[in-house]
Amino acid sequence: MESVLTINNLTKKYGRLTAVNNLSLDVKRGDVFGILGPNGSGKTTTLGILLDVIKRTSGDFQWFDKPPTKEMRKRIGAILETPIFYPYLSATKNLEIVAKIKGAPLSNIDPVLKKVELYERKDDKFRTFSLGMKQRLSIASALVCDPEVMILDEPTNGLDPQGIAEIRELIKGIAADGKTIILASHLLDEVQKVCTHFAVLKKGNLLYTGLVDDIDKGIVNVEVASEETTLKEVLESCPFVEKVKEEDGKYVAQLSDDKQAMDINKYLFEHGIGVSHLLTQKKSLEKQFLELLAESETV
Amino acid sequence: MNLIKLLKIDLIKLSNYRAFWVLNILYGLLIVGIPAGVIEFLKWLDRIGEDFSEFNPMKIPVLHFPDIWQNTTYVYTWLKIFMAIIIVISISNEFSYKTVRQNIIDGFSRLDFLMSKLATIFVMSFASSLLVLITCLLTGLIYTPEFEFGDVFNGVEFVGAYFIDLFGFLVFAFFMTVLMKRSALTVFMLLIYRPVELIFISNLPRQLEFLGDYFPLQAMSNMIEVPFPRYAFQEIQDYVVMPFVGVSLLWIGILIYGIYSKLKSSDL
Ligand SMILES: Nc1ncnc2c1ncn2[C@@H]1O[C@H](COP(=O)(O)OP(=O)(O)OP(=O)(O)O)[C@@H](O)[C@H]1O
Ligand SMILES: [Mg+2]
Repeated sequence: MESVLTINNLTKKYGRLTAVNNLSLDVKRGDVFGILGPNGSGKTTTLGILLDVIKRTSGDFQWFDKPPTKEMRKRIGAILETPIFYPYLSATKNLEIVAKIKGAPLSNIDPVLKKVELYERKDDKFRTFSLGMKQRLSIASALVCDPEVMILDEPTNGLDPQGIAEIRELIKGIAADGKTIILASHLLDEVQKVCTHFAVLKKGNLLYTGLVDDIDKGIVNVEVASEETTLKEVLESCPFVEKVKEEDGKYVAQLSDDKQAMDINKYLFEHGIGVSHLLTQKKSLEKQFLELLAESETV
Repeated sequence: MNLIKLLKIDLIKLSNYRAFWVLNILYGLLIVGIPAGVIEFLKWLDRIGEDFSEFNPMKIPVLHFPDIWQNTTYVYTWLKIFMAIIIVISISNEFSYKTVRQNIIDGFSRLDFLMSKLATIFVMSFASSLLVLITCLLTGLIYTPEFEFGDVFNGVEFVGAYFIDLFGFLVFAFFMTVLMKRSALTVFMLLIYRPVELIFISNLPRQLEFLGDYFPLQAMSNMIEVPFPRYAFQEIQDYVVMPFVGVSLLWIGILIYGIYSKLKSSDL
């Protein structure tokens, strides 16, 4: 598939501090790519370099398989960190500047304002907006050029739960149009819900990159509880149970041989145990993320 | 991107900015007000002197063709700090609001940003020169006792020199803003720069003295010589000093290049 973004050995140093270290990534058309990492891991710095506002120390990157130019940035809708607008100008005037820079028609402005539900406030000055409204306006501004690629750096920062859900739907909708999205976020649940791919950074180093769908592949953990006291023994005797752990009154059995919850239920039933609770644990991105960070501490 | 488009974008940014309009209008009032004030002053002198002197102050040719061109433009060059403050505020805002960063993210090149600001600076200098031209023309036409039509535009090139002087100073202000980023600091530096330059020039060692005239603001001010000693029967250069026009243009080029390199090499 066609690459939208290729990053090769990108490095950024601020004096002695290495904010991004030898980073290589590849984002294909249609990917929804989540960039995760603790505070200060280099997410914003990386995005800033890709958008030409931060100068790289070494390495390079290509947009659409070509060296970056300003014309490419006009096809990208991007927000970095906090919403940035002229505080004394209205929402409409601010978007007019963005549209003019990007060469997008001014007729795009009203629809995107409606999309983020700011249309009623379009003539109000930016500085009179609440944080969530500012955030929405920056999403509107990223959408104003009908971008092929969106870069969103913590787009739900400061939004209310309903706002977060709306932005999530918005992102999903945009992704469903076949657009490529690069999303830096601390809301792992969000990333898991909307992203297809993710990468984990720590102190500028790439710890991991892969598919979101792969997170819970392979190992299956099933929670089991029962009135029967022999449950633990029976579980341990089962040939396709690798490990049994006790977790607040329940047992967690790690299965092998592609066996599923149904198989363990059947096995237990055959051994005279009726279960009162049976649940396949979904491995969350959050768990995976924390494991990756913990692993990186030990090496 | 073409210049007109860049100019339009920059003008949207300024259109609703109150300080921009207030300072511009103030500047315009000063330009129109100074000759009017001088006239009123001369009339007043005339009235109080009436009884004991046959001397008529209205006959002093400060605001007559062709003297008016050099006299007024020389005085106006002292007002340029007003315009510079507008420029400093509008550009330092871009850094403090980080909007320059967003402009680049949205698709400006650093050169586009530079050119959009230069376009505004050019238009402001041009409009101000036009106002100077009209003000001088009207004042001269009304108050010059007798003149031939050929005399009217004799010396109008001083308006051109005024334009270069103002444009140059605004580019200098742009340059300082890009270096300092903060508006108060930049205005302060602009205010003390000229005195510092003068002190520096006057302390140059003998062999390097000739360099003094080529310092940026000195070179620009050398284009229009102080005209008033002529009323004390002293010889002055009553023409635009062309070599310094060249030197000023060169400085403008260097400053613009300086702004460009600074923008190009820095994180925004
Ligand atoms: N202008 C700067 N000068 C010096 N160091 C900087 C600068 N900008 C960022 N850094 C450093 O670079 C590192 C990466 O910062 P960055 O903003 O990219 O982190 P992040 O992953 O976006 O963090 P967060 O999740 O908090 O947004 C940090 O250690 C930060 O202190
Ligand atoms: Mg960040």
